Amino acid sequence: MVAKGQKRKLRREDEGGGSARESQLQSVLDISMDKFHRDQALVEPCLLRSVLINNTLRQVQSEVRAQVESLSAAKIPAKLKPEPDFTQLSPPAEHHAPLSSPNAENTEDDFMAWTSEEDFSLSSAISAILKDLDAVIDAGQGPCASQRAPLSSVENLTPCPLRTERTSDMASSIKTELMCPGCPQDVALDKLLLDIDPSVFEPELNLLQGFSVTADDLVKYLPSLSKSPSASSSSSLVSRGQATWEIQEIEHVMDILMRTYPQS
Amino acid sequence: MMAGKRAARGICVGRRGRERQQCGLNIKPAPLTDTKSNPHPLHYLRVGGGNDFQWCFSQVKGAIDEDVAEADIISTVEFNYSGELLATGDKGGRVVIFQREQESKNRLLSRGEYNVYSTFQSHEPEFDYLKSLEIEEKINKIRWLPQQNAAHFLLSANDKTIKLWKISERDKRAEGYNLKDEDGRLRDPFRITTLRVPVLMPMDLMVEASPRRIFANAHTYHINSISVNSDYETYISADDLRINLWHLEITDRSFNIVDIKPANMEELTEVITAAECHPHQCNVFVYSSSKGTIRLCDMRAAALCDRHSKFFEEPEDPSSRSFFSEIISSISDVKFSHSGRYMMTRDYLSVKVWDLNMENRPVETYQVHEYLRSKLCSLYENDCIFDKFECCWNGSDSAIMTGSYNNFFRMFDRNTRRDITLEASRENSKPRAMLKPRKVCTGGKRKKDEISVDSLDFNKKILHTAWHPKENVIAVAATNNLYIFQDKIN
Repeated sequence: MVAKGQKRKLRREDEGGGSARESQLQSVLDISMDKFHRDQALVEPCLLRSVLINNTLRQVQSEVRAQVESLSAAKIPAKLKPEPDFTQLSPPAEHHAPLSSPNAENTEDDFMAWTSEEDFSLSSAISAILKDLDAVIDAGQGPCASQRAPLSSVENLTPCPLRTERTSDMASSIKTELMCPGCPQDVALDKLLLDIDPSVFEPELNLLQGFSVTADDLVKYLPSLSKSPSASSSSSLVSRGQATWEIQEIEHVMDILMRTYPQS
Repeated sequence: MMAGKRAARGICVGRRGRERQQCGLNIKPAPLTDTKSNPHPLHYLRVGGGNDFQWCFSQVKGAIDEDVAEADIISTVEFNYSGELLATGDKGGRVVIFQREQESKNRLLSRGEYNVYSTFQSHEPEFDYLKSLEIEEKINKIRWLPQQNAAHFLLSANDKTIKLWKISERDKRAEGYNLKDEDGRLRDPFRITTLRVPVLMPMDLMVEASPRRIFANAHTYHINSISVNSDYETYISADDLRINLWHLEITDRSFNIVDIKPANMEELTEVITAAECHPHQCNVFVYSSSKGTIRLCDMRAAALCDRHSKFFEEPEDPSSRSFFSEIISSISDVKFSHSGRYMMTRDYLSVKVWDLNMENRPVETYQVHEYLRSKLCSLYENDCIFDKFECCWNGSDSAIMTGSYNNFFRMFDRNTRRDITLEASRENSKPRAMLKPRKVCTGGKRKKDEISVDSLDFNKKILHTAWHPKENVIAVAATNNLYIFQDKIN
């Protein structure tokens, strides 16, 4: 909550109109996911609040989907080429934790296939979950702090202690990502989709300590993204067979993530 | 409990039963000289609203401590029809009623003060065993009934239950019973040799509050509004998805008149946020939604009023579209004017006055705190964007009032189009001290006495305000304190 007489923080430079929109998109997505998860933990969340947050999430997800679709349409002839860039978002000069590329590319293939499905709610839900994972993974780096700067509304916030760390590192890494030759826009957009950004991950930090998401958790979250919390079972969204298939896919993704960033 | 969900409505012939057959759907304004529907003679009052005169501090009720007990937070404020009584409800489930003392002939410089008249525990926390949920005792709404005899009646509602309370005075008691002594001991009947008639003796005034009706088990979701109908026999209660019609005498049955629950809850995108009965036409009510729309329904059209008679929505301005457009358009309060011709809605940043005969846009829009528009993302993050502000009319419908942050509240004069921002704070709490207008600096150089947007205290929010129905006396709830302001009498 806002305290009276809070000192103002130094405003950060706006990084450009397009990225401002994207950064707001990301902020809203982050905040909405956070609220959504908190409300899920409550026994009886407020229905008005849940509906408003869900509608905002849907809006964000549809915008993400629109961007992905326009991106896919542009990239279809050269589908294979940009993929390595997704997994290595930093220029070669920077050291980063080795990412097992083939597995990540498989993830990317799966993900791209998902985004082209008619039923986008699952894919966008997955993207939201992955985004959430990234937010936790990057908790030390605080991607939101610098990216929210264009909104110029950080002053009244009580700063989260984690987020103030390494903002300078994050800023430089964002710049280097964006300078990745050949596809800066792709990189920026895909960052929204695929949160695995090894350039900011430092192996000596155990950021996943204490963070555990099981496949069951993911499955629990996914269907309830598109329904209000007062609905009862999670099986109403998808048929049983489809749910099983999707659970397997999610477990596959989770395996990749857990292998890539092993907990200490 | 909820019998008659789709049953035909019986012909409810109240005292005003005949009126239902007469009125068409054109909402006729009640002229001010019509004493039947507008019993208080407003024509002799000064019509001034916001700043035709000076607002002065009158009283403040509540603890001074910095540490605010959660239970003491005021959750609703309401004057009764005459303005003699002022009721507040709090998060702890208590109702406190203040009564205005008689204006002293000697003290011509001030009006009567409000002093505590009655305090009672209206609702207790409950536990729903079926759902394993705790039901909060917080009083969401209080609505008075018009006074018909010496006692006063009000409805108070928490999330699930509505109660009708009778507040009555007792200033006499009987003495000289035959069967019991003065101290209450029973007398032996065989020892009684003579009979006497008990005599009424005066005693210290005692105000008793007793629950006369309990209207329970009719709402699955949280009650956000109650409104007494102009027939004084029925009332409506609204939760997130349904509106029920009750008869004040009948507690085991209510009619469901609006139901917006979708068959598949995953498709839910809109909820009911407020509802109110028309002040004169007992067949008409409105309800607002989280998408910024208002629906006016006529109960004569069908038993279930899912299809509205009128639909009020302002087209969205595409240039100001953002991720938060829907959230800030959600209506937190809807109030009919006393005349019945207009209604007012409050959304996050503005107050809008609608003519009931024009559905496509409001006739007046007042910006409450437009400077917050650029801060919506932060306000979304700290949940302030979900704050539900209320609004109210003055007695003559010439002015409207609503709350804001930093303990500021705003008044708008509809005739002069002037507005004023005032603050409810202990610093301005000397008796009859004039309130100084406040100003928020939106950018650039901050002038003296202005406050910048970044310095606003978003924990100090004024959500509940009330305006005396006949005079320029207002009650403003600031967290756990109740401020009473009045205009300066020259």
